[in-house]
Amino acid sequence: MQVFIAQVINGLSLGSIYVLLVTGFNLLLLVAMIIHFSYPQVVVFSMYIVWLVLRATGNNLILGILAGVVSSIVINLISAPLFQKVMKKRGEVDINSTMVLSMGIGMIITDVLSHSFNQGLPIAFPDTLSSDAPILRIGLISVLTGQVWSLVVGIVAVSAFFLLLYRTRPGRAFRAIAEDPNGARLVGIPLLRTGLYSYALSGVLGGIIAVLLAMLLGSASPGLGEQVAHKVLAVSIIAGLGNLAGGLVVGLFLGILEAIVQGYISGTWSDAIAFVIMLVVILVKPKGLFGSKL
Amino acid sequence: MAPNETPLLSVDNVSVSYGHINALKGASLRVFPGEVVVLIGANGAGKTTLLETVLGINALASGSIIFDGASIGGVNADRNVRAGLCLVPEGRGVFSSMNVQDNLLLGAHHNMRNVARNIRRVFDWFPILEKRRSQVARTLSGGERQMLAIGRALMSAPKLIMVDEPSIGLAPIVVNDIFAILTRLNHEGYTILLSEQNAYKALKCAHRGYVLETGAVTLSGTAEELLNDPGVKEAYLGA
Repeated sequence: MQVFIAQVINGLSLGSIYVLLVTGFNLLLLVAMIIHFSYPQVVVFSMYIVWLVLRATGNNLILGILAGVVSSIVINLISAPLFQKVMKKRGEVDINSTMVLSMGIGMIITDVLSHSFNQGLPIAFPDTLSSDAPILRIGLISVLTGQVWSLVVGIVAVSAFFLLLYRTRPGRAFRAIAEDPNGARLVGIPLLRTGLYSYALSGVLGGIIAVLLAMLLGSASPGLGEQVAHKVLAVSIIAGLGNLAGGLVVGLFLGILEAIVQGYISGTWSDAIAFVIMLVVILVKPKGLFGSKL
Repeated sequence: MAPNETPLLSVDNVSVSYGHINALKGASLRVFPGEVVVLIGANGAGKTTLLETVLGINALASGSIIFDGASIGGVNADRNVRAGLCLVPEGRGVFSSMNVQDNLLLGAHHNMRNVARNIRRVFDWFPILEKRRSQVARTLSGGERQMLAIGRALMSAPKLIMVDEPSIGLAPIVVNDIFAILTRLNHEGYTILLSEQNAYKALKCAHRGYVLETGAVTLSGTAEELLNDPGVKEAYLGA
C-alpha cells in the first residue's frame, strides 16, 4: 500500500507537468490553429537557458526562473510569423504544413542543444533548484520539494489558465476562435493578433513547465524534448485533440500510470507499457476518450 | 431620401472573386442613415458575399466601399467592427458551446466601456435572453438564437447593422417576430442593411431595395416600387 501511495504521489507530480504541456499544445492547436508537435522541445530549450543563467549568476533562482519563462515566450513569438507564413488558410487548423515546420523547429533545437551546450552531455541542475532531500517521509513514502512544487504550481497554473479562458476578454476570444474561427472573424475578432496572444500564453506555460521539469528531474538532455513530445502528442490525441478538460484527466492518468509501472514492474518498461495502453484506447475510441474539439 | 444627403454606406462597382468564380461583378448600392435597405436575391446571387465584403472578409478585385466617410475597401473586419459596422451572420452564427452572456460579450469585444449598460439594454429588448443568460446557446430555440445574434450585434454599438437572411430556417410566426424586431430597431434609429430570399416580408419592413442577380444589381427602387414590379413579383414574390 505504501508503494502504491508513493507512486501515486510521484505520478501526480509528473502528471501535472503532462497536463501543463498538453494544455499549452492544445491552446496553440485551438487558437493559433497549428500542430506544434515540438512544443516540448521549446520547453527543454528553456530548461537549458535556466541552467545557463543559474550557472552565470551563481544560482540566482529568481533570475533563472525569469530567464526560463522569457526565453520560452520569445521562441514562441519568433516562430509565430513562420507558422503564419506557411499556413494556407487561417480559418482552419493547418495540420500538414505546420506539423512539418514544428518538427523542423524541434530538430534544430535538439541539434543546437547537443552541439552548443555542455558538449552535448546531459546537464544537471544545482541543488538550489532541485534538491533530493525529502520534505516529508513516512515509511516508504517520501515527498520531494520538486514534487510538491510541480503539483502546487501545476494546479495554480491550470486554474489560472481556465479562469483566464472563462472570465476574461482574451479568453472569450480564444474560445470563440476555438469553436468557429470564421464565425469569430465575423464578429470582429482579429484571428492573427488573438493567435499571437496564444503563442505568448503557451510561452508563459512553457517557461513554468521548464522550471518544474528542472526541479522534478534534476537534469536534462538534448533528447528529452523529443521523448516528451511523443507523450504529449499521444495524450492529446487520446484525450481528444483540443479537448482541454480531457487533456487534464489523461495527462494526470499517464503520470500515475507511468509511476505505478515504475513502482511495480520496471522503470525501463514504463514508456512501452504506457504506449501499449494508449494504443488500445485509440483503437477503441479513434476520436479520443473525450472527443476531439476540432 | 433627400438626394443631397451623404450615404452611410456606399458600395461602388465592387467585384469579388473566389479563385475562378466571380461572386460579385460590379455591384453597387447605397444605404442612407436611418434606412432599412433590403438586398433581394436567390441562393448564390452573391448576397452573403456582398455583406461579408463590406465587413472586410473578402478582398476586392475592383471597386470601392465607403463607410461613414472613410474608404474601407481592404480594411480588416475587426477594424470595421470598431468603426461601427456589424454583421448578423446567416444561420444565426452564435457560438453554440458558449453561454448567452459570453456570446453577448463577444459582440462587445471592441466596445467594453459601457458593457454593463449595453447588456442591460439588450436584455430590455429581449427579456428571454436575460432568462437564458447562463444557458449555452446550443439549448436555445432558432428564434432565440436569432435574437441572440441580433443582441450580440447591438453590443458593438453599431452605426450600420447588416443582417444576412434572418428568416432562413425559422417558423413563419417567428419570422414575423424577427422582422418586427428589426422594424423596432429601425424606429429607434438604427440603420439596417438586410439580405433576404423572403422578399415580401423583407420589402414590407424596408424603405428601399436592390435586386441582386449573379453578382450584379439588376434592379433597385423603393420598397413599394419593387413590391409592384412585375419582374420582382414573378421571380421573388411567388405571384
